[in-house]
This record gives sequence, structure tokens and C-alpha cells, in this order.
Amino acid sequence: MNYLLYFDPGLGAMIAQAAIAALAGFVLFYKTVVATVKGWLGLRKAKKESSFDNSYDQNSDTK
Amino acid sequence: MRRHPSSYRDPSGFVYQENGIFYRQINPVYFKEYKAATSSGVYQKLFDKKWLIPHEELRSDEEKIIILPEQLDFVTYPYEWSFNQYKHAAQLTLRIQIFLLENNFSLKDASAFNVTFHKGKAVFIDTLSIEKYKENNPWRALKQFNEHFFGPLLLAQKYGGSFLKTLQHSINGIDLSEVKRQLPFTSRFHPIIYSHIHLLSKSDGKKPTENNDEKKISLSKISQIKMLQALEQHIDAMASKENTEWSSYYNQINYQEASFQNKKKLIKLWCAEVEATKIIDLGGNDGTFAKELLNQASQIIISDIDQPAIDQCYLNQLKSKEQRLIPIVCDLMQPSPSIGFQNSERDSFTSRVISFQPDLSMALALIHHITLTGNVPFEMSASYFSKLSQYLIIEFPDRDDSWVKFILDSKRDARHLFDDYSISAFAKAYQQHFKLIKSEKIEGTERTLFLFKRHEG
Repeated sequence: MNYLLYFDPGLGAMIAQAAIAALAGFVLFYKTVVATVKGWLGLRKAKKESSFDNSYDQNSDTK
Repeated sequence: MRRHPSSYRDPSGFVYQENGIFYRQINPVYFKEYKAATSSGVYQKLFDKKWLIPHEELRSDEEKIIILPEQLDFVTYPYEWSFNQYKHAAQLTLRIQIFLLENNFSLKDASAFNVTFHKGKAVFIDTLSIEKYKENNPWRALKQFNEHFFGPLLLAQKYGGSFLKTLQHSINGIDLSEVKRQLPFTSRFHPIIYSHIHLLSKSDGKKPTENNDEKKISLSKISQIKMLQALEQHIDAMASKENTEWSSYYNQINYQEASFQNKKKLIKLWCAEVEATKIIDLGGNDGTFAKELLNQASQIIISDIDQPAIDQCYLNQLKSKEQRLIPIVCDLMQPSPSIGFQNSERDSFTSRVISFQPDLSMALALIHHITLTGNVPFEMSASYFSKLSQYLIIEFPDRDDSWVKFILDSKRDARHLFDDYSISAFAKAYQQHFKLIKSEKIEGTERTLFLFKRHEG
């Protein structure tokens, strides 16, 4: 037992992650398809001004 | 040396205070992880992104390493955040985890208390939460993330901002089965909500058995990243439907634009006279008046009962790239108590404000709510304000003010109980605790501004 594990992560929660990840893969795929089709139709939405990316993503600022 | 009372959960190290400065001690058990994170440059990269509170290493020997983190001026807790603050704190945690995975590290916990607001933005403050990623291990903090962040956000989105206060009564997060019970039946058809709430709540009561060897539980890194990205995208799209009771307040104030400008001018002038640099604006709404003081103030806490108004204040600040406002949701009739083990893990609102040592408190258009709606006698509110700061600017709307009339009318039979509500009774009571420096009626209104200085000694 790793004693650094100072809280119970829930054993079931660990097992369930495989299923969650599978569902997530499906959701991401579906979203990508929808976004691509919307892109073709010229329906792409701009990110909201208050979105996390607009205020927090510093990738553009750092080298 | 005084160990911080909230810093006991993780044996990797702890935060302590010495001569008013916070340090972090790292214990030998975490040396390897700390050195790996330092040498790989992930700490530095996270500092550059402004996602993690920067630190410098002060000394290192075989028994301990001491680091000095950038000091926080005022800590706000999750139950004091507005909807978008909460949401961004959640997204920050997920983005950090995704970033760490890409760099072969991982977060070992995802407590909402690992995040606070600093210079206008959410920042991760638990430096020791970062550990080496173990190949194909699922994220053990996922359930905790949902208990601390996703659950409260879902409930707040559906039922309103009071659910953002969940961690005030459940310091370790909300039980996912409880979230499940409160969500509508149709939520189980939503792949993200189903998987992160319904599915994970089922695993709550599972007992480990002999065959459940941890080695068998595996999840590839790429799958974990996808899982987190999908969750993050869902949270990104969440919005609060709540309308504020005050958000359109300044459109329907009961006085003219000229009086409004006049009030701003007086406050600015008085604030300059007392040379206030640290200010708390109680009932500060979306920060409209506080912003006027930014020329001279180094920091202004804006507290308000109204979650959407504070949300607006936070979003405006992000947009303007201002860093000196500290928005906080707080009901002065029941400010955040001290909670946690021995009632000392998370400090109360009042004691944090006192340690912040503001030079000036402002209570604009507030006293009639406290006195008439909250039934707090003048002596008690004066005594409370005098604890917070040396100077006080307070606005007193007299009985002829339309808001005051409205509140008094709603008292019906009990109206006579508030016969004492008058400017003379107010001034008398406040002079028990303060010296009156000046007062001035705001032209075109039934309101008077007072500048008080606390009696010392």
C-alpha cells in the first residue's frame, strides 16, 4: 500500500474510468464531427469572451 | 513556527507561518517527486502559464526542503466563489492535470481548496500535489474532482448559486449519490453526467476484494487525457441561468445620474484624504464604486451577498486585465464561519478580513438592509465595522428614501419597531465606536455619506 495515498480514491471509481474514457472518446468524436460539419456550413461559433481559454491559456504569451 | 491548521492531510509536507510569512516544508518522502518536478521543468512551465503559485527554494538538507511560495494577500474559499469563478477553478484543475500527463506527471488530488484567487485569477496553490505519472494508472483524484467541483457546479447550474456553498458544510465534497438523487431522471442519458456522477456514485460502496489487484486496473494515458478533455469541454459550456437581484440595480436606482456621479466623487475624495490603499467594500455589488478607487488602492476586496453581481465583477476584471480587485460572495448576516477540524482549517470571513488589515471599509447602501431587513441594531453594526478597519465610509439612507420606505412599508404592523431608524440615532450609535470626521448629504437624494475614524485604545 502506498502510504502517500492519503485519501480513498474509491476502488470502483478507478475501475469505472475505463468505461468513462470510452464514453468520452465517443463524445469527443461526435463533437468533432459536429464541429467539422458546422465548419463546412460556416456556423462555427467564436469562444465566449468569458471562457477559460480567453483569460487563462497563456500558451500564446509564452515562448 | 506555526503549522497551518489546514495543512495536515498530505504527509509530503506542510505549510507553516513564521513572522507572518508562509513557508512550505517538504518531507523526505516527497523529495524524489519534488526533485523530478523541478528538474523536468514542469514547475517552471506552470509558473510561466501562471497556473501554479510560484515558489523559490530556500534551503535543502537531508531532513527537509523549505520553499517560499509567493504570498497570497487574501485567501477566498470555494464556497465564496461565484459561478464562473468556480467553473474556472475546475477547468484550471483539469487543464493542469492534462498538462501534467503530457509531461509524465499527474495530480495526486483534486481538492477545490487547492485553488484560490490571486491577482484576479484562479491559481493552483498546492505545490506538493504533483507526482510522477505511473504508466497506465487511472487518475485517482477523479472522484474527488467530481465531489468538489463537478457535482456542486451541476447542482448550481440547475438549482442556483446556493449550491456553490456546498463545501462549507461538506468540506470533503458532496457525495455523488446525493448529486445523482437531485439531478433529473434525464441526466442519466447524458454521457458525461452519467459517467462522472451516476457511474462513479455506484462505485461508492464497493469493498475491495482479494482479486481486485490494483495492477489490473489500467487506463492508457491517451484515454485519460480524452476523458479529462471531454469533461473539461462540458464544464466550459456550463452557464448559470441565475438572474441577479442587483445586476440591473444601477439601472433602477432611485436617484439621478448627477447624484450618482456626486457620490462617486465624494468617495474618491475622502478615500484619498485618509490615504487608504487596502480597502474592503461591503455590499460592493459588481464593484462599480470600488473601481473608482483603483487609482490609489493597491487592493480592494468586494464582498456581496449576490452571486451574479460578484460573478459580473470577476468577469469584468478578467476582461479589463485588472488584478487588484478581490471579489467574494458573502452574506454579512451569515459570513463564512471557520470550519474543518478544530474549527481551524478554514478561517472565518471576519478573521480573514481583520488579518488583511484594510485601511478603510465602505458600506454603501447597506445599512438599511442590515438594520431594517436584518434587524441588527446600530450599536451592533457599528461595533462590527469598527473591528474591520480604522476608517469607515458609510452611506445612510434616511426614512424618506424610497428603498427605506419600501422596506418599512413591508413591515406592516411591526413598522413602529423601527421608529428609531433615523439619522440622529444612527450618528449617535456610531459615535460610540468612531469619531465623526465628516458627513455630507448627497445632493438630489435622501442619503448622507459619513466618514468615521475608529476610537483607538
